[in-house]
Amino acid sequence: MKKAAKTLLLAGLILSLFMGPVFAGGSKESASASGKTVIEVWSEDRHDMEYVESKVAEFNATNTDNIQINLTIISDNFRNMLQMAFSGGTAPDVAGINAIPINMIADTGIAMPLNDFIAESPEYQKVNDPYNQIYEGTNSKNGNIYWIPTGMRSGVRVIYNKDLLEKCGYTEIPSTLEAYIDMAKDITAQGNNVFYGIGFTNASPFERLLEMVSEVSGIYYYDYVNGRFDFSGYKPVLEQGRRFFTENIAYPDQQGVDNMRALFSVGMFALWSNASQEAAVFTEQIPVQGFEWGVAEVPTLTGEVTGALETTPSKGWGIISSTKHPEEAWKVIEFFQSEDFLKGYLEAGYCLPSTDYMASIIDSSKTGRLADFALKPYETVYPKPPAINLSGNDYRTVFWNAVMGYVDIDEAIADLNTRYNEALDADVASGAATRLVISDYDPLHPDQGTPEYLTE
Amino acid sequence: MSNKGMKKQVKKEDRRDRISAILMLSPVVFLLLICSIYPFLWMFRYVCYDYNGFSATFTGARNFTRMISDTTFWSSVGHTFEYAFYKLVFIIPLALICAVLLNQKIKGTSVFRAIYFMPTVISSSISGMIFTFIFATQNGILNGILMALGMGAPVQWLTSPDHVMTAVTVLAVWGGFGNYMLYFITGMNVISEDVYEAAKIDGANGVQTFFKITLPMLSPILKVVLMLAITGAFKDYEAIMVLTQGGPGNRSMVMFLYIYNMIFGSGLTNMTQPQIGYGALLSVVAAIIVGLVTIAYQRIARRLDDVM
Repeated sequence: MKKAAKTLLLAGLILSLFMGPVFAGGSKESASASGKTVIEVWSEDRHDMEYVESKVAEFNATNTDNIQINLTIISDNFRNMLQMAFSGGTAPDVAGINAIPINMIADTGIAMPLNDFIAESPEYQKVNDPYNQIYEGTNSKNGNIYWIPTGMRSGVRVIYNKDLLEKCGYTEIPSTLEAYIDMAKDITAQGNNVFYGIGFTNASPFERLLEMVSEVSGIYYYDYVNGRFDFSGYKPVLEQGRRFFTENIAYPDQQGVDNMRALFSVGMFALWSNASQEAAVFTEQIPVQGFEWGVAEVPTLTGEVTGALETTPSKGWGIISSTKHPEEAWKVIEFFQSEDFLKGYLEAGYCLPSTDYMASIIDSSKTGRLADFALKPYETVYPKPPAINLSGNDYRTVFWNAVMGYVDIDEAIADLNTRYNEALDADVASGAATRLVISDYDPLHPDQGTPEYLTE
Repeated sequence: MSNKGMKKQVKKEDRRDRISAILMLSPVVFLLLICSIYPFLWMFRYVCYDYNGFSATFTGARNFTRMISDTTFWSSVGHTFEYAFYKLVFIIPLALICAVLLNQKIKGTSVFRAIYFMPTVISSSISGMIFTFIFATQNGILNGILMALGMGAPVQWLTSPDHVMTAVTVLAVWGGFGNYMLYFITGMNVISEDVYEAAKIDGANGVQTFFKITLPMLSPILKVVLMLAITGAFKDYEAIMVLTQGGPGNRSMVMFLYIYNMIFGSGLTNMTQPQIGYGALLSVVAAIIVGLVTIAYQRIARRLDDVM
């Protein structure tokens, strides 16, 4: 009897040890010990953490609305973490949602429309100019605004080693792709395996030059007028791009972005291309050593800009619909998008100002080399084409494979046209996506057309 | 005690034992249900859905038809078989040879055992990164050595479709053979010294001893190691993801890396999204493939047993 009781006791103990953690946790308490309303904030940005944390500490110590911000940085797998937290009832009140596709936050009801809050906040309107920062399919859908950017990342620029160019007899970046490749070829030849004309990374290399050359040449992967994917226009750019490898122009290795940046910073190749984040990279993270570097516009096919260059709106905050404190959450967003917060943020060079108001407020001499990446008149945000369920490689991978010579250019284009449109048609038929049509689409002003979402 | 009373007593004790057994088993069963059965059923739930982590749309048999025409997936299956073949061909003999050498009673063998085992405890993503530097074309350590030995042009280990499988296999063998070597050494330690002494008295040389005694007596361990190596090779993808991202031109894209990309949306562009439903279907197919390979291996192993 005693033995049996012991056994039962032991079994019960083991069971409780295993089950205990499963049922531990409980509901989240949204009031701190000091009686303040706690607003949970999630961000996926680590690079600006120091500044944001210091301002949050300042806010927590000084705000008169009895609010305490609890900031959590989740730099990996942010989307999935947010989705899981939302499903599990532990989502934050406010989140930086600018990098999440709109269908994942709007159609699902995860984020709350901010229209009413914005309408009632003149200070927010003054600083953030929200009604001129509505990008259909990016931060807004069907008239609902889910977040407003506080900054912009520029489109791609050519970043070049001035000393190497001068040494090889060049003073500026050519305006046509052909001349640009010719120059790179000449520098590689003069470099004689000591330095090269151009370098490419293995991380989305097509996006970092040739795709942007295509954009400013009026070539885009989505035919907005007909609501179809169309990759046919890329052929001349791909044919030119192939020269980088058939003529042994490029640095003979494609490594991770930081490795290639490091090689550029020591003068291993003369031409590199990327967006405005390189300002901080080449001054702080991987400082350029012993030469002057310049920033220039990407070349085009003909030398003339006939299409808009894509910029990326950044650092936009949204309210998660499960919040129990929407008013306080909005106050937190007002703080993150206030003049005081943004002035320091933009002057620290984390991104470019997205409004004329903030551009006039900040001291651009403090932003360092970021000033070289100032937005051009032909830069804008494209309306987002439908998000589809695609099988196989995406167009960037396929096109880079074509540039490298692994697949035929015509076959690559035909394959992409087929796969993308089959996926789009199937998704529209199942209701997983809608077909975006902009009948008055202008490639130089893609954001100014009238979008329609078709269900067939 | 009467017969009836005794029966009653036995029954009572049986019941008590059963209750204890159920209670003792319940944590394990609970964990099995939560951590294994539930995720498996969860995965099946989405096989007929487009699910991006936020919203799910029922699509019927569309994921199946997509899979059949998905050439990237089927080529990744082919690459997985190729990779597994290369890995097994090199890793098992190498592990066995090292085990035999390091099982000798020579000073310093434990140091070598530790050195060879060390890559096993290094995270595969870290080793992938280390090998990126080793295999770099222009300033890589391997090409530096080869050039110093008189090789003309640097080899494009990671950017040439002709060489990338070699690079990936080298990394896999380096990262895994120490583990299998330890299994073999453990197996050898179980073989009685008397058998070796008897063979010595009979005049067997080292090679004969290895093939006639060590190898046959290691066969139970060898079977387990082979099974682990086969399933491991079919499931490898982390180091490949860091080293080559499946490139160049999908040449090193293995099936679990492709599935990972589908489910976690690695390399997402503007208009593609995580495809958890489709990835779940591919995972089921991949599991079936690995299962079939394992069954085939077990049958072959059984036949070999009969022959031996």
